Amino acid sequence: MKKILDTGNAACALAVKAAKVDMVAAYPITPQTSVAEKLAAYIGSGELQAKYLPVESEHSVMSAVAAAAAVGARVFTATSSQGLLYMHEILHYAAGGRLSIVMANVNRAVCAPWCLYVDHQDGVSQRDTGWIQLYAASNQEIYDSIFLAYKVAEAINIPVMVNYDGFLLSHSMMPFEIVDQEIIDEFLPVFQPDWRLHPDWGGTFGNVTPSDEYAPFRNRLADDMIKAGELIKNYAREYKELTGHWHGDLFDVYRPEGGEYFLLSMGSMAAEMELAVDILRKEGIPATGLRLRVFRPFPGAELSRLLPPDAKLLVFDRNHAFGTGGGVLLSEAKSVLFDRKDQVKITGQVMGLGGEDLPGDYLAQKAREMMEVLK
Amino acid sequence: MLEMRIHGRGGQGVVTLAELLAKVAMEAGREVQTLPFFGVERRGAAVKAAIRFDSKPIKVRSQSYRPDILVLMHENLLPIGLADGFAPEAVFVSNGTSPLPVAQTQWLVDAERIALESNLIIGGKPFINVPMLGALARILDIPFDLVAETIRNQWPGEKAAPNLKAAQNAYNSVQQIKGGRCHE
Repeated sequence: MKKILDTGNAACALAVKAAKVDMVAAYPITPQTSVAEKLAAYIGSGELQAKYLPVESEHSVMSAVAAAAAVGARVFTATSSQGLLYMHEILHYAAGGRLSIVMANVNRAVCAPWCLYVDHQDGVSQRDTGWIQLYAASNQEIYDSIFLAYKVAEAINIPVMVNYDGFLLSHSMMPFEIVDQEIIDEFLPVFQPDWRLHPDWGGTFGNVTPSDEYAPFRNRLADDMIKAGELIKNYAREYKELTGHWHGDLFDVYRPEGGEYFLLSMGSMAAEMELAVDILRKEGIPATGLRLRVFRPFPGAELSRLLPPDAKLLVFDRNHAFGTGGGVLLSEAKSVLFDRKDQVKITGQVMGLGGEDLPGDYLAQKAREMMEVLK
Repeated sequence: MLEMRIHGRGGQGVVTLAELLAKVAMEAGREVQTLPFFGVERRGAAVKAAIRFDSKPIKVRSQSYRPDILVLMHENLLPIGLADGFAPEAVFVSNGTSPLPVAQTQWLVDAERIALESNLIIGGKPFINVPMLGALARILDIPFDLVAETIRNQWPGEKAAPNLKAAQNAYNSVQQIKGGRCHE
C-alpha cells in the first residue's frame, strides 16, 4: 500500500479503476467533472479495460448504466446536483430492477438560484428511490467507500450512491492510502450476478405486472433495504481486516465517553464537527459527535442504541425538508426515536446551504443555541 | 496546525503551487491538506487556495480565515489578502522587490526575475509558481532535496531543469524583511 496526495475526485476515480468496472457512462457537471475525465483517460489509455459511453444527458446516463447492469456488467457513473435530479425517474427503475449500480454523487446545491457549492439537497431528495446512500467525510473514505458500495450492491442487488461534498472533498487534496490490487481483488471478486438479461438465461426485465406481482417486488426491496444495514457493517469490518482502514460502520462516533449531548450530522461538516465537540468538551459540556455514514437504510435502531436514557440529540442538517420546519435528518431522527419510553430530547437546525462555510467554532456556537432550545 | 493562504490570479498556477507545496511537505513527514477556493474562474481574476500543515491528521473542512502565512503572487493582491483575514502573528510572503506596507514580518522574493532567468515563460509572461514553491519551502524550513524530488516527479525529463533552477534560486534568495518566525 502507498500513500498519495490527491483530490476526492481522484480518490473516487482510482477506486473505480481498482474495482475493475466493465462500463462507465457519465455526463460532466461541476464539481463531478474530473471523475468523468479521469475515468475516460484510464479507459482511453487501456489502464482500465472497460467501455466508456459518452451520452447526451444524465437521464441517458442512468438508462445506459441500468441496461449494462442488467446484462451483468459492473458499472459506474458519477454526477452532482441537477444531474442527479435529472436521473430521478431512472433511479427508481434501477432500484426496482434490483440492479447493482454504483454511482458517486458529488454533493452540490440545487437550482434555483444557481449555485456551485455543497449542500445535501441533491442526495436527500432521492431518499425514497430505493437506493442505498453512503456519505463520506475524507478522501480516504471516498476511496474505501467505492469498494464497500460494490460489495453491498452486488450482494443484495440494490444500487448504492456514494455521496461526498463538492469542492470541500472533491477538489481538496488530502493524503490517502491506495490499497494493493490483490487485496481489492480478494475483497471484490469479479461480479457474478445470479441473473442477467441474456438470451441464454431467458426471462424479461421490467415487464408489466399486475398488482399481486408488483406489490411483492416492491415489498422485497423494502425488506432487503433494511437487511443492507447489517451487510454494510459486516463488509466494513471485513475490509478493515484486509486493509486496516476503518471509518465506522453505520455511524462514526466521536468521544462517546459520558456523552449527554449528541451532535448528529453527515458529510464533510461531520469531520469538522469533531473540532466543535472538542471545543464544547473543553467548556465542560459532555458532547459526542455522531457522524452518519449511511443515510439509507436509515440506521434507526443503531441511533437509539447510541443514545443513553435522557440523551439530547442536536441535529445539523445541510438540507431542507420543506414544510417540516427543519431538515431531513431531523425528521428521520424524530421518527425513529418516537417509540423511546424515556425522555430523549431532539432539536435541529438547517445550515451550510450552498456552501455556506461551517468552521468548528461556528458549529459549536450552533450547538450551544440548540442546547438553549432544549432547556 | 499551520495554515497558509495563497492569493493569485487565474492562470498563474496557484492550485498547482498549492499541490506541489503540499507534496513537498508530505515528503517532509507532515500531514497536509489543500483547499482551493473556486469562483467563476477566468484568466486574471483573483483566486485563492489554502494549505494546511500539521503533525496529526487534519479535520478542518472549512475555508481559511486566519492563516499563519499569507502569500501574494503579486503585491497588488494585498487589499484582497488583507480583506480575507489573517492570524494576529501572521507572516506575509510576496513576489516583488519592495516591502509591503504592513507591520507584519514579511518575506520577499523576486519571483518574476527568477522565472525570466530560468526561461519559465508562458504566453510571453514569466510563470512564477515554481519560484514561489522554492521560496515557500525555504520559509517552512523544508530541505531543498525534497523540493527537487517533487519537481522531478512532476516534470520528468528535460522539463525538470529550468524548474529546478528557478526553485533553487528562489529558495536561496527569498529574504526576510523583519524579525519573527513561522510557528506550528
